[in-house]
Amino acid sequence: MIPKQSIDELIYRSCMRLDAKDFSGFLELCDPAFRYSVTAFSPEIRKEMIWLEHDKAGLKLLFDNLPRHNSDHSPITRHVTVYTVEREGDAGNARVVSGLQVFKTALDGGETTLFAVGKLYDTVKLDGGTPLLVDRNVRLDTRMLGIGYHIPF
Amino acid sequence: MSRNAIQWHQKPGFPDTHYVDTSIYTSEELFREEQVKVFGKCWIIACHESELPNAFDYRTFQHPAGVPLIVVRGEDMKVRAFYNICPHRGNTLLYDPVGNAKRITCIFHAWSFDTKGSCTDISRGKEGYQERFKCEDAGLREVKASIGYGGFVWVNTDDESGSLQEYIGDALGMLEEHMNMPLEVFHYHKAVVDTNYKLWHDTNSEFYHDYMHYFNRITGMLQPGYFDRKYTGYPNGHASVGSMSVRYDKYEGSKNRSVGWPGLAPGGWILIDIFPGMTYNLRTSVLRMDTAIPLGPNKVVIEFRGLGLKSDTPAERAERIRDHNTIWGPFGRNLHEDLLGVHGQGIAMREGTDSKWVIHGREENMTIHDEGGMRHFYAEWSRRMGRKAYDPFGTNPGASPAPAKKLATA
Ligand code: FES
Ligand SMILES: [Fe+2]
Repeated sequence: MIPKQSIDELIYRSCMRLDAKDFSGFLELCDPAFRYSVTAFSPEIRKEMIWLEHDKAGLKLLFDNLPRHNSDHSPITRHVTVYTVEREGDAGNARVVSGLQVFKTALDGGETTLFAVGKLYDTVKLDGGTPLLVDRNVRLDTRMLGIGYHIPF
Repeated sequence: MSRNAIQWHQKPGFPDTHYVDTSIYTSEELFREEQVKVFGKCWIIACHESELPNAFDYRTFQHPAGVPLIVVRGEDMKVRAFYNICPHRGNTLLYDPVGNAKRITCIFHAWSFDTKGSCTDISRGKEGYQERFKCEDAGLREVKASIGYGGFVWVNTDDESGSLQEYIGDALGMLEEHMNMPLEVFHYHKAVVDTNYKLWHDTNSEFYHDYMHYFNRITGMLQPGYFDRKYTGYPNGHASVGSMSVRYDKYEGSKNRSVGWPGLAPGGWILIDIFPGMTYNLRTSVLRMDTAIPLGPNKVVIEFRGLGLKSDTPAERAERIRDHNTIWGPFGRNLHEDLLGVHGQGIAMREGTDSKWVIHGREENMTIHDEGGMRHFYAEWSRRMGRKAYDPFGTNPGASPAPAKKLATA
């Protein structure tokens, strides 16, 4: 059985690689069937909203196109704490819920501000030798992202 | 060749209509005046009717003239708007941005109001006010509200204003056939940016900045027909940009569109700017609405809405949401670039930075890269403000070098 530590480290590693803009490294942690979404609830319109939704190929394209876009280059830091890991049987998937805080650090002067808070709802595939992400839902509490950002959380 | 201080401050070699003094973006005095003369007089979008589907549903709205508003649907299903200010000791009446309130009861001393704005109860009124003050004296301040043009709820804080129809005129004609069915808001978010609201509306009024958008360069600008689109100006400062084909298939990941929008040619695009800070943007399968609400000369909150058809199936809605997210969501490719642009303008144009002019001088027969859309806006701004956008304080000496060309008015 894959130990819980390996599952925790998969979540942490995924964030460290995104922080480092190691996008191909991040995608290596994802199953070919990987799905990614950013969602939030709007109390103003009383509706669930999807803010970004991609499969693995779509996410790769988004990463590949980043240099072609004009973007805020302030780096972000994802602080994650794994809250719960629930396994579905011995070799099935694990559902992982983590707390997420995203900090933004200005390039000029290095001031760090809180950018967003939310949770990661991950599904981790355990039937291979190494655990892989098959689904990530970034569930944001923060809906005010100022000028926005091109790199997914 | 670079320029020295004198040259930097010299009026640009254009007609006076073709540039503005950057103090219109930075002056606190002008901002206060705009709240009265522009926002206090114009029809402004407060929300969409789909946000108030049931009787007694309400939305709060921070009106750009400064007043906090409640927009509420009555038992008679009519939508009305009131100041969100208690007539007693000035408390906020409704705190949440949305809700359902049969009675609006102030939390402070429990005065109550109905959805027609009448005061229905003053707690221990007789004991305290005897016959000197009654419910009749304590009604809410009502402001004009009108639903139209895609089901948006428009408000006007000026009791003397003309009708919404008079204000819009023919400006939304290009969109009318595309909005004659019930619509529904599926996306809402706000952005607060340290910049002037007019700079956001300017960005929505010029397509020359497609250079900033990788997405638009490859899906639009490089395609035949792009330069055929034309600006049309309308009375009251509104302007439209005609449809063209946008080659979404040129952007990997944007292929295989099917839902579209009723009446809109595949790849069509209609953009209509409504003075002083609202933009209808119909593209792919989504209608986007921007509402710019200034909080100061260098601070604006922009409300972003994405709308689909009320009759959408879940599959259709999902596709609209995907189309919206790709370019216009908070993580979308274009929205971040547009906001980055005005954010940068806000840094460069602040009191004390010695910015001086913004040039709106491009003339290309009012086709897509002509800057006539912005010129049309500033003609109306100048009329309402009683000031010249190129010389708002009458301190810029020198005469204009050439007569101004006028924008064709439909
Ligand atoms: S302030 Fe509202 S009842 Fe007194
Ligand atoms: Fe843009």
